[in-house]
Amino acid sequence: MSGATTAAYLARRAAQKERVRILYRRALKDTLNWAVHRHLFYQDASDLREKFEANKHVEDLDTIDKMIAAGEATYNKWRHPDPYIVPWAPGGSKFTRNPVPPSGIEIVNKGLEDP
Amino acid sequence: MALRAAVLRHIRLPVQTLTAAGSRPQPQWSFLRLFSSHDDHLTKEEVIDRVLDVVKSFPKVDPSKVTADVHFQKDLGLDSLDTVEIVMALEEEFKLEIPDKEADKIDSCNLAIEYIYNHPMAG
Repeated sequence: MSGATTAAYLARRAAQKERVRILYRRALKDTLNWAVHRHLFYQDASDLREKFEANKHVEDLDTIDKMIAAGEATYNKWRHPDPYIVPWAPGGSKFTRNPVPPSGIEIVNKGLEDP
Repeated sequence: MALRAAVLRHIRLPVQTLTAAGSRPQPQWSFLRLFSSHDDHLTKEEVIDRVLDVVKSFPKVDPSKVTADVHFQKDLGLDSLDTVEIVMALEEEFKLEIPDKEADKIDSCNLAIEYIYNHPMAG
């Protein structure tokens, strides 16, 4: 690709960097799902970090795209079937457990028939 | 009797007057549990303290440089992947779930504190 830092090149690099960050974030969370015990998690997290750091100095845009695609494929292969999601977040156990009742409804006399 | 008075005079505590408008004892008595669901949002000081503790305990960070308006990449010399790790540590600390796009934008302590303070479910 062009060696000069044109705007399109920078925009593409910025988009790639964002994809890498999001991929690293998801992979780290997935590592935490698999390796629940902290000492195992730290070990696996540093291995993951090594893998990312090894490819840090690649400059060619197409190679970077291929590497990101390969990384995302690996991530999709290793996704945990039952990930930990914070309870109130979508996918968690408390999500929409107590929904807000619809507005405009008035309960008369606590729902009892006889006053 | 005089001995008793002398002993009491030594161990008497000074009277503390609350500020006007009856300030709630929130920052000092952090062990005080509030069972109302309306008032138990975190105070800004608590958020700042916990965020700074998390950032200081990161192994690649020099604790003496950490203040409340420090930028992770410019001031602390961290990588973008380190920023991702710090945001994950903050998520674990406050039991939050931050969407990926939002988490990507958190770049400094300021933004982190703002986001966490304005989040309704920050624990």
